[in-house]
Amino acid sequence: MQASAETLAFLRDVRVFEAFSDPDLLALTDRLRERDLRRHQILFREGDRGDEMFIVRRGTILISKSVTGKVEQVLVRVEPFDFFGEMSLFDGSPRSATAQAETEVELLVLGRDSLQAMTETAPRAAAAFFHAMVLVFMERLRRSTLQVAEATRWGLEATGLDVETR
Amino acid sequence: MQRPAPAKFELLVRRDEEDFELRQVASVTGYLSSRPRRVESESYEISELRSRLAVASGFILKNTTTDRFLLLSAQERFLWDQMDGATSLQEIATAYVLKFGEFDFEIIPSLLRKLQRAQLLTFEPRSRLRAVLARNRGRVIVKALELVLTGLERIRISSHNVQPFFQALYRYGGFLVFTPIAAIVCAALAVLGAAAALVLFRDVHDMLEGFGGHALRGILTVKLLFFASVALHQFVHGLACIHYRRRVREFGFTFLHGFVPTFYVDVTDIFMASRRARVVTAVTGALVHLVLGAVAFIVAVKSPPGSFTQAFAAASGIIQWQALLVALYPFCFIEMDGYHIFVDVLGVPTLKHDAIAYAKGLLTGAGRVEQGREELLWIGYVVLSTLSVAAFIAFNVWIIFSATH
Repeated sequence: MQASAETLAFLRDVRVFEAFSDPDLLALTDRLRERDLRRHQILFREGDRGDEMFIVRRGTILISKSVTGKVEQVLVRVEPFDFFGEMSLFDGSPRSATAQAETEVELLVLGRDSLQAMTETAPRAAAAFFHAMVLVFMERLRRSTLQVAEATRWGLEATGLDVETR
Repeated sequence: MQRPAPAKFELLVRRDEEDFELRQVASVTGYLSSRPRRVESESYEISELRSRLAVASGFILKNTTTDRFLLLSAQERFLWDQMDGATSLQEIATAYVLKFGEFDFEIIPSLLRKLQRAQLLTFEPRSRLRAVLARNRGRVIVKALELVLTGLERIRISSHNVQPFFQALYRYGGFLVFTPIAAIVCAALAVLGAAAALVLFRDVHDMLEGFGGHALRGILTVKLLFFASVALHQFVHGLACIHYRRRVREFGFTFLHGFVPTFYVDVTDIFMASRRARVVTAVTGALVHLVLGAVAFIVAVKSPPGSFTQAFAAASGIIQWQALLVALYPFCFIEMDGYHIFVDVLGVPTLKHDAIAYAKGLLTGAGRVEQGREELLWIGYVVLSTLSVAAFIAFNVWIIFSATH
C-alpha cells in the first residue's frame, strides 16, 4: 500500500500504533492492504477461518454473535480508528463473531505474515504494538463483564424476579 | 437513588444472506409478554376476610406447602385469578382496566414480588399447545412439530411506526367510515344483501354449479381471497382508533400460535377512551365483512344463473357473512370483537376463562353446582358456545356437501 500523508496521519491516531516512530509507521504502511466493503456486505462469519485483523478507516462495522435461528446479538459497532478481528490474527482460531458492514466501509488489513515480519524487523515497534494490544484487551474484557451484568439485569427485569427479598 | 433505564439488547435479525433488521429489545417487552402462573390448586387456599371496619373485603391466601400467608385486596385477588399461565401481563393489565375502570401502575409488579416471595408463582411457556410439546420433546415427531411451529412463529412482519400512516389514511378518506351517511349505506347494503341472499339460497346447488366440476377448489380460492378482507378489517379497527384520537401501536402479520395466519392491529390504546369508543372500534372492523358480503350477494343475484361469476360471488358472500357472525357473535370460545363488546358491557372481562374453569370443575367432579348469577352466566356461555360451534361446523359441512353432490 502507498504511504500517503493522509494514511500516516490516520495510523497515528489508531491506538495500537500510537507509540510507533515515523520510520516504523512507514514500514507498517507498506505491509497493510486496503479493502472496501459495500453496505451490508459480510466480511466474515462466526466460525470462519481467519488470520487477519482489520482497522476501520471509514464507515461502521457491526460485530454480532449468533443467538438463535436468524437472530444475532449486536456486540459492538466498530467505528473509524478502531480495529477488530485481532483474536484470529494471534491464535488462528475460528472467528468468534460475524463482522458485517453497516455502511459503506474502508478497511486496512494487517495479516499474520506482516505482523511476524514486523516482530522480526522492528522489535521496538512490535513491543509497543503488543503493549497497546494488552491494554485494549483489558478494556474489552471490562466491557464484556459489563455486558454480562447487563444481560443478567435484562433477564431479571423481563421476568420481574425479585431476588433482593427472596 | 434514581433507577437505571430498562436494560436493552440490540438484536440483528437476518432476512436473507446479507439483508438484516436491527431491533432494540427492552426488558419491559419481555416482562409484558411473560405469563405468570399460580401454583397448582392443591398448593394454596384462599378465603375471604370480612371486616366490620373495612369497607372493601380482603382475602387471605395461604401457601399450603410452606404455610406462608398473604393478605390480598379485592383488586389483587382479581389479578391472582388471572395468573393462569396462559394470560400475559399485558392482557392481565387490560382485564384490570376493564374491571375497575382505572389502572394502578404499581399493583402488578408489587403483587408479583409478594407472590414470588411466598413461592406462589411460576412462569410457563406461551401456550398450552407449546407446553404439551415441550413436555414430549423426546419424540421425533413432536420435536419436528415444535421446530415447525417455532419457525412459523418467527414469521412476523410488523411495524410499530404506523400512527402517521393511519392518521393519513383517516385524513384522506378514512373519516368517511364514521359518518351517518356511511351508517345508512351500510344498513341499506345489509338489507339488499340479505334479500339477495334469500333469492340465491332457494337453490344453492344450482348456484354453486357455476364452479363446474371444481366446487371444492373454487371455495378454497374464495377462502384465500377472503384473507385479504381480514387485513381490511384490521385497517378499519385502526381508523376507528384514530377517530377517537387514540394511538395505533402496531400493524402486522403473523402466525398465531404458529399455525393460524392472521393480520393484526394493536389498538389497546382505545381502552383509555370511553366504552362507546371501544364498542365502535370493535364493531366497525367487523362491518367490513357485512359490506363486502352484501356486495357479493348483490353481484351474485345480478349475474347469469349458473355462471362462474355467480358461484364465486355467492361463495364470497357466504364466507364474508360467516366472518361477520364469528366476529360479532360472542358465544364461540374465541375472543373476537363481539366477545370483547359483550364482556365490556356486562363488566365480566374474564368470562371465558371463568366459564371454562367452572365447567371443567363440574365435569371432573372437582367443582360444585351453584345457583348464583355468575354461575348461570358461565353455564350459559359454555352451553351456547358449544352449540354454536357445532352449528357452525354443521353449516359448513352442509355447504361443501351441497356444492360437491
